[in-house]
Amino acid sequence: MSKLVNLFRWRRDRLERDLDRELRYHVERRIEDLIKDGLSAPEARRQANLEFGGVPQVREAVRDTWISQWLDALMRDVHYAIRNLSKSWGFALGAGAVLSLAIGTSVAIFSVVSTVLLQPLPYPDAGRIVSIETFWTNTGLSSQDVSGADFLDWQAQNTVFEKMAVSYAGKDSPTIVGDRAVFANPGYVSADFFAVFGQTASAGRLLTEKDIPVGGAMPTTAVVAYYWALTHFGGAEAAIGKTITVYGTPLQIVGVTAPEFRYPGTTDIWAPWLTSNRNRGLHDYQAVGKLKLGVPLTRAHAEMRTIGDNLARQYAENRLKTVALVPLQERLTGSVRVTLWVLMSAVGVVWLIACANIANLLLARAAGRTREIALRAALGAGRGRVIRQLLAESSVLAGAAGLAGLLLASIIVGGVVALSPADLPRIGDVRIDMTALLFALALSLMSTVVFGLVPALHASRLDLSDALKQGGSKATVSRVSTRLRSALVVTEVALSVILLATAGLLVRSFQALQHEDLGFTKDRVLVAYTEYVVREDNLVADLQIRSNFFTDVLDRLRAVPGVNAAAGVAYLGMGREPRAAQDYFIEGRPEGQPGERPQAEFHAITADYFKTLEIPILAGRDFARNDTRESQPVAIINETLARIAFPGESPVGQRIRTGTSSRAPWMEIVGLVGDARWQDPSRPAPPVIFAASTQGIGNSPSILARTSLDEASLASTLRRILNDADPTVPVKFETMEEMFDFTLRYPRFRTQVIGLFAGMATVLSAVGIFSVLAFLVGQRTRELAVRRALGARAADVIRLIVGQGLRLVAIGLVLGLAGAFTVARLLSGLLYEISPWDAVTYLGTIAVLGTAALLATLLPALRAATISPTVVLRQE
Amino acid sequence: MSIRKRADREYSAHLQGTLDLLILRTVALRPEHGQGIARAIQDQSDNVLIVDHGSLYPALQRLEAKGFLSAEWGTSENNRKARYYTLTRKGRQELIREESEWRRIATAIARILGPAPSKV
Repeated sequence: MSKLVNLFRWRRDRLERDLDRELRYHVERRIEDLIKDGLSAPEARRQANLEFGGVPQVREAVRDTWISQWLDALMRDVHYAIRNLSKSWGFALGAGAVLSLAIGTSVAIFSVVSTVLLQPLPYPDAGRIVSIETFWTNTGLSSQDVSGADFLDWQAQNTVFEKMAVSYAGKDSPTIVGDRAVFANPGYVSADFFAVFGQTASAGRLLTEKDIPVGGAMPTTAVVAYYWALTHFGGAEAAIGKTITVYGTPLQIVGVTAPEFRYPGTTDIWAPWLTSNRNRGLHDYQAVGKLKLGVPLTRAHAEMRTIGDNLARQYAENRLKTVALVPLQERLTGSVRVTLWVLMSAVGVVWLIACANIANLLLARAAGRTREIALRAALGAGRGRVIRQLLAESSVLAGAAGLAGLLLASIIVGGVVALSPADLPRIGDVRIDMTALLFALALSLMSTVVFGLVPALHASRLDLSDALKQGGSKATVSRVSTRLRSALVVTEVALSVILLATAGLLVRSFQALQHEDLGFTKDRVLVAYTEYVVREDNLVADLQIRSNFFTDVLDRLRAVPGVNAAAGVAYLGMGREPRAAQDYFIEGRPEGQPGERPQAEFHAITADYFKTLEIPILAGRDFARNDTRESQPVAIINETLARIAFPGESPVGQRIRTGTSSRAPWMEIVGLVGDARWQDPSRPAPPVIFAASTQGIGNSPSILARTSLDEASLASTLRRILNDADPTVPVKFETMEEMFDFTLRYPRFRTQVIGLFAGMATVLSAVGIFSVLAFLVGQRTRELAVRRALGARAADVIRLIVGQGLRLVAIGLVLGLAGAFTVARLLSGLLYEISPWDAVTYLGTIAVLGTAALLATLLPALRAATISPTVVLRQE
Repeated sequence: MSIRKRADREYSAHLQGTLDLLILRTVALRPEHGQGIARAIQDQSDNVLIVDHGSLYPALQRLEAKGFLSAEWGTSENNRKARYYTLTRKGRQELIREESEWRRIATAIARILGPAPSKV
């Protein structure tokens, strides 16, 4: 680009220099004449200057003519371009449609990428906000979870942060607002939390040091999110002074945040919390900080690293950890970066194909206009003039397509936002913004250069006499032009193959994920999230009440007609609530060293859980009603755990214990069940120990029900049952299918969007092949007619044209497959159970593209076959 | 063109085409540089028409852009670099057309004005 600007500047400088020299010459010549007429030198100079009327004025007047000439030429070019394009409106429409489609998709995806990845977070000085994390030296990974004790040391020792804060993300908690029980998401934060984000309240005040409860007390104040206040109180001001009860703790609302503030995640309520310094091994906080002005990240990182390394030497628990700083924006978008860059690359490929296509169309057109251009050149139009004319045509086309594309982009953005996973950060903020607008203009301009200049340079290199000698439409296609167009078709095919193969791999991998045998049946299961609040100060009694409550609710639910089975489960998995594995011990075996003991997940469930999810019981029995707090503790394990812990023997009758506390009782294994892929269908099932929640173990259950009814109507029945039993227990519904779909949201999003692009690419390259062959047939009409006259059959002609087309396609396929292998290797991290060399995908790609190509070649070939030699040759 | 001795703005606008015609006529004889063109017009009109340089150079640029004149650097009679303007084929056609048009109008105006009063 700068080269082009320089070229203009150089041209302009030369013009200015010439003008100066010319004017100087004029004045000096006049002086000489006047001296010859007898004036003295100074007098002659005075008179000449007077006559001339001031060099600057003249120079200015000349410059004015330059500008108006340039504008005139531009207007003429544009006018001529529009006239030309409208004369061949079919071409203009086709090329415009292809280009606006390409620009539309590029701008749409760019808008998404720009909003989600590139635009700074909506906080003051967002660039200085970093996530302060635990860096595990043994795994080389950084984790957001930090220990409160570590944080307090970091805060005391560093000099690089202006403000630091921790938050402790609670899970969705039963919250009583007025007379309703709802789920709300509380976050417990330290005093400077809002200061780090530079926040002010939209009503009331934010939390201060004075709000922090001391001496183990519970907090009494809270700040709520703007939208939460809107939903529950009708406005920010109305919420101030109201009391809400979060998991049994009454909190008075003292402030409401600004509307755009949402951190961490989906927090609704922020309550003050004293940072605990008790346990260095417990990582349950997340830390953020705002760097001091002018402190670069690298310096801050180095200093924090030193502090972390010192702590590692000081404390045994810190042996394997130190500190890492990650810009908050990077942390928030980290998980979606891959998906978005994949989309961005795909859209770039579509754009390239579209450009090759347009170039091809324009090239075919330019060749068709050989005679016209040659004529204009013969009449004295310079090479620059011809190039400019052709460029003007592409510019007008690109400009119009840019506008149409922008319109299309706003539609596509709507579609992408609708398809995208709901938790894609800031997806709701995606608009076609100024950046995208500039991007569209840049794209239009670039496509002008790309597809305008190739044919322009090519056309202007014409051999004039050659072109004029040959009659207009009969002009044989120069070998250079054919080769260039063939190269473009090959490129298009190759790029399409890459995109198609990528899409194919993603689709196959997605299908594999979807059809994976999960070990349970997920359709027709209603999931109801509930939580029964248990007070610490009344623990034993409350646990019994809770157990009775759920037994009662489940019994009533099982009595509803159409309910086949129902059960409670304390943990719903599927990536919603990450579940740490626990150490386990088997009776009669050595305990092993801490850190080297085997681990398993631990789930508390009720009877009928396996029946509800249709998980087979392979040996032993299910939990039963008489497994109570008073009876012998029992456990059920899954196949994976049985394989690891009891190879070659029956687990039933053995006794097992989990590592939560050394006083935990031995549980007798009473059953063995099949594996189920709860958490992540793309990973094998982990070892699991199930315990009976009726024996007082585990958290508050949620409810699963298998039904032959419509899930929605069952949901309203269950809501009524729960409300009758205890109106303070909130409930949220979902179907198991929805829950499963949620775990696949990113693979699905990628697959859908790339599939769409691959489809577009295939259509575009088919259009490309078609246009080139159709053009070639048009050019060779006479030759083909002669062939027919000399005895060639229709089939021979078809074979000739199809052969020509398929040769290009074959070259493109080979190149594309080579490219696809390379891309597939890069993508192997996104693939599940599908090898990057998956034969089905590549065969499918070849089949799809081959069919499209065959159709694209067949149409012009059939037209060629119908050429009637008598008609064509008589016309000559 | 404005004509100094009758320096009316209306005239200069009116007579724009006239300057172009005079320039084309001047370079029709031989290639000439800007100053030479101005001097030739002045000399041949017995100093009645004095070319305003603020109009001359823009006019030259305009005519060059329209393809009536071509310009290149050459050596002047006093051995200095000067920009010489040459009439192109297109310019010659334009000159013929403009000249006949001018003569037609001049004749028409002369008819209306009647015979010039005899010199007193």
